[in-house]
Amino acid sequence: MSIPRFRTSINDYLEGLPEPVLIRLYYSPATCLAIFRLLPAMAQLFIMTMLFNDKPLEATDLNGWVQDGSTPKQYEALEKLRGMHLIKESQGTISLQKTFRAGLRNALTGGDHNNSFGIPCNTEDKHKVDIKFLDEHANNQWELILHFMVGTDTGKVPNNGVLSLLRHSGLMEGSAPSNMLITNAGFQFLLQDVNAQIWTLLLQYLNMSEDLQMDAVEVLHFLFMLGSLELGQDYSLVALSPTQKIMLDDLRDYGIVYQRKSSSRRFYPTRLATTLTSDTGALLTASASMDSAISQKERETGFVILETNFKVYAYTDSPLQIAVLNLFVHLKSRFVNMVAGQISRESVRKALSNGITADQIITYLTVHAHPQMRKSIPLLPPTVVDQIRLWQLEMERMKIVEGYLYSDFSSKNEYDVIAGYAHDLGVMAWEKPNKRMFFVTKEGNQQIVDFVRRKVHGGA
Amino acid sequence: MPRAVKGVLVECDPSIKALIINLDSKNHNVVLADLDDEHLVIEERMVEHVKRELDSQLAENTFKPAELDDIQRK
Repeated sequence: MSIPRFRTSINDYLEGLPEPVLIRLYYSPATCLAIFRLLPAMAQLFIMTMLFNDKPLEATDLNGWVQDGSTPKQYEALEKLRGMHLIKESQGTISLQKTFRAGLRNALTGGDHNNSFGIPCNTEDKHKVDIKFLDEHANNQWELILHFMVGTDTGKVPNNGVLSLLRHSGLMEGSAPSNMLITNAGFQFLLQDVNAQIWTLLLQYLNMSEDLQMDAVEVLHFLFMLGSLELGQDYSLVALSPTQKIMLDDLRDYGIVYQRKSSSRRFYPTRLATTLTSDTGALLTASASMDSAISQKERETGFVILETNFKVYAYTDSPLQIAVLNLFVHLKSRFVNMVAGQISRESVRKALSNGITADQIITYLTVHAHPQMRKSIPLLPPTVVDQIRLWQLEMERMKIVEGYLYSDFSSKNEYDVIAGYAHDLGVMAWEKPNKRMFFVTKEGNQQIVDFVRRKVHGGA
Repeated sequence: MPRAVKGVLVECDPSIKALIINLDSKNHNVVLADLDDEHLVIEERMVEHVKRELDSQLAENTFKPAELDDIQRK
């Protein structure tokens, strides 16, 4: 049984787009800036060296920026830039894609006339809302979706847009709201942090919007614009295209933006929106700040007691929490205000094979520990924590790499040259020089094959 | 001119490797190359089969306290 992997990374999505679409994207300075923020550090460095340089660079010039031994990273960065068509290469020179260069320059120097960063409202909002309200609103909307996924009876059902998105993304199955059930992928989704969850849904939204004849470029422009907005500021709808106004309705359902009424002429981005394109560090602090906003409540509601004999007592009647516990605890009895169960090899293995990691389990238990548990140091019984980690190791008895085994080299020299190239590419998985054999990953094989052909061709 | 063979590189303990070799000994359709103590290359389409077999063999050697608990109560 294979678990569908989430394409949580917007980068993967962008790399899959054809060049003309990407170039249309780069017409928006806000998008250029957002894409720049999503790139790895080395790629950012390369872009910065070329940004204000109108002449193309010699490709070899870039080597000067890279430390010896970081060549694999350089290949990776260039590969990424090529994949997103951010650079143009010809006869050993490199230059930035023109539209992207103009867009990013505009974003940095503030010469943007397209209003791609959103227009703040210039009139006072009579029903002004503060950041605390926005956080709460975002949280409520988001939790409504999560609660619906695990089947909590809150009396409220998310809008049809949300339902079809959940169905479309394979997180839930079923045709009517009353018989929709969560899938394995859905459980895995529940344990991700909020930011990853949002991107998972938004990427599905992108896929779906293509089916609905919505323009992917406009959808992306809007998402990247949201990432650059300021929390607590209200923005005007004037600059939005019709497609983007439709999107606004959907995003309101996810809690990513707030509008008082659907006819309102202004909208507020919530914290879910403004952290969309932040890098990982900021992402963690952002989700942490989201957590700290509700931490007061959280600390009081720590409810799980874990004993050294692997028994778990959870003082909760929330179906959401029970459903999450059920992912990795063998639950045995349920009472009015608590459930009891046991962590066993089987229950943890079930969770692991659903793609949940040992660390996620341990973090969950730590975060939700009952106040009574907080008296003991360390918080969780070490025997249990170690055992959960051991169970995970047991699942990973074999480390598997798909690829190609190279052998039968005619000379030591030939071996050294080709093996050296494989090292530079960072695709070497195993090697044994004295047997003249090595193993390269599937991704790198084509480059090795080309290299060998060139060598043989050049030598002959 | 070197030769390239498509396959899956497996890195594991010598004990696990012994089990895989043992699996192969029946039909010789699993292992493509035995590299060293902790590495071998196996047939791509046999990976799931090998994982299943390993799981079932290792599960036989495991003590299950949860089941014991249930039995006692009965």
